[in-house]
Amino acid sequence: MSALLEVKDLVVTVGPRKILNGLSLSIDAGSVHAIMGPNGSGKSTLGYALAGRPGYEITGGSVLYRGEDLLALPAEERARAGLFLGFQYPVEIPGVNNVYLLKAAINAARKAKGLPEVDAFEFLQLVRAKMKLMQMDEAFLSRGVNEGFSGGEKKRNEILQMLVLEPTLAVLDETDSGLDIDALKVVARGVNTLRSEHRAVLLITHYQRLLDHIVPDHVHVLARGRIVKSGDRSLALELERRGYDWVLEAA
Amino acid sequence: MAASQDSLVDRLRAEFAAVADQLPNTTVRDSRSAAVERLAAAGLPTNRDENWRYANLRALSRSRFAPIATHQPIAAPDLPAALDGFERYVFVDGQFAAGLSATPSGNVGPGIAANSPTDMDTPAAREARFALISDAFAVDGLCVHITAADSAATGASIRRIEVLFVATADATIGSSYPRLSVRLEANTRVHLIERHVSVGAAASMVNSVIDVSLDRDARLDHVRLQQLGARTTLVDTLDARLASNTHYQLHCIAYGAAAARSTLRVALQGDRSRVELTSGCLASGTQTLDTYAVVDHAAPGATTRELFRGIASGRSRIAFNGKMVVRQNARDADSVQMLKGLLAGSEAEIDIRPQLEIYTDAVKAAHGATTGKLDDAMLFYLLSRGIERDIAQSLLKWAFIEDALLGIRPEALRRQLERELSRQFQDIAALDGLLGDVK
Repeated sequence: MSALLEVKDLVVTVGPRKILNGLSLSIDAGSVHAIMGPNGSGKSTLGYALAGRPGYEITGGSVLYRGEDLLALPAEERARAGLFLGFQYPVEIPGVNNVYLLKAAINAARKAKGLPEVDAFEFLQLVRAKMKLMQMDEAFLSRGVNEGFSGGEKKRNEILQMLVLEPTLAVLDETDSGLDIDALKVVARGVNTLRSEHRAVLLITHYQRLLDHIVPDHVHVLARGRIVKSGDRSLALELERRGYDWVLEAA
Repeated sequence: MAASQDSLVDRLRAEFAAVADQLPNTTVRDSRSAAVERLAAAGLPTNRDENWRYANLRALSRSRFAPIATHQPIAAPDLPAALDGFERYVFVDGQFAAGLSATPSGNVGPGIAANSPTDMDTPAAREARFALISDAFAVDGLCVHITAADSAATGASIRRIEVLFVATADATIGSSYPRLSVRLEANTRVHLIERHVSVGAAASMVNSVIDVSLDRDARLDHVRLQQLGARTTLVDTLDARLASNTHYQLHCIAYGAAAARSTLRVALQGDRSRVELTSGCLASGTQTLDTYAVVDHAAPGATTRELFRGIASGRSRIAFNGKMVVRQNARDADSVQMLKGLLAGSEAEIDIRPQLEIYTDAVKAAHGATTGKLDDAMLFYLLSRGIERDIAQSLLKWAFIEDALLGIRPEALRRQLERELSRQFQDIAALDGLLGDVK
């Protein structure tokens, strides 16, 4: 069976700078991968490039998602095909209610599958259940998307959206940053409920702390725009103990 | 250009001479002809006039100035749904339509006259030259003059009135002259909905004149909706004078007409008077929506809150010129202008100008004016959730214009309006479905 996501020799340029420089990564359905690396190594760029953010120009390599060329799709179609990016810095959109966003997103996915629009009652039931899991107050629904949310609330909201959309591949960019330990547990629980043999999760993180709660199958070190070392969970623990320098020197 | 405006005035004079005897209220004939002469002396504005640069007045050359004598019969179902608790007065092509109106008792409610053009001499500022044409030709008008006794007679502390001006006829047949005069005596309060709509698809010429006068401690909540048909031209003049401690909440929402020009003038003549002017314009295709709003602080301690939101799509143009005058005696004036435009089409144009003329020191005057495009980061965030580009753009436009809609009351009207507006965005059904859930 082929991998869910197959990234080969990916080169990504942002403005004049080449950020990813021949990155290769293979993710099977059912697995959780963690990408770690020092600041500026290109972690967020990988997330944006996969999600299709304008300005992240692909100048080399390929990305196959379920055997098809992911890079040929515009951002919205990637999402509808089951790719989800949890933003490191979720965008505030005053005036667009969270409930609009969730409903528009669900209906877009349903439309792509040839399904009718979601029933209003079922929709609210679903959202309420997921909010409960994320320990979010219902008042969030009628507020503007991320408007005036604290850092932790924004991250919970990302995971809420993920749970509602049930993606096949979730790329979570530093979802743990800015969370206290209780919030981290809530977020981790949200991610863990999504784990299944059909889905995969790519965690982009700075710290091993998150990986105590979402245990990865594979850990990769990203440096200077490519994966320089891969291993299992023990690699993350070793990185925490020893830092990144020894990997970079060896690479 | 000037020559053609001169010939327009000549034609207007000739048309007036031909119909003057048939116009109602012959007792005011002198003031009608005086209006024609004043207009002839002042001349019609052209695009070379600084304050008329954006107005699209081309339709004048094919319009007949004389009022429309007869109009197509229309029925209540052609009109927007009535609002609970509001008296309704309907004018079709400038004529009062008693049969379509609905009041608690009889033809008109207490304090209201509907079948004569009252206040013939509207305050004629230089910007009000089109009001002079109305002064000359107007047939019927709604006159709302509320006294404390009238308020007591209706048994409600707030009088609720909706006036609907309907345009049906083509400009070559004649012009429509909606007229509305509102005088609130001391301590009275009115909630007024003023709507301009079209029935049918005629290219009408509408020239409206609204006059507002608030005596001390009066409060007027005034919602103006411009929902005219896509081929109609509107020239609109509003003049308001506020006495001490009055509160004027003015909401102007415009998205209809091929070309519309509103000239608003609010004079804060009494101390501690307050105006909240909120204006929202939505233009697409080749529409031109132009507003010139002057707020004149002429007394101490008066307050202005001005908010504008305009979205121009396609090849449309939106202009909002917000002028704030603070006179020497208007110490402790407090004014805030927050004006924002959103360019949603590569060939669209927006011109937003706050203008301040301040003649005293003790003033708080804040203003912000920005025009920009949809925010890329916001757009990408929505796209990354799988939302179609059209819908994502509409959601962002919606969010932008929402500020101008929030304060509209009654709720039922705001919801009606939100539905209508959501249809202005391309992806009608999808957005309509979303708005169904708005609490």
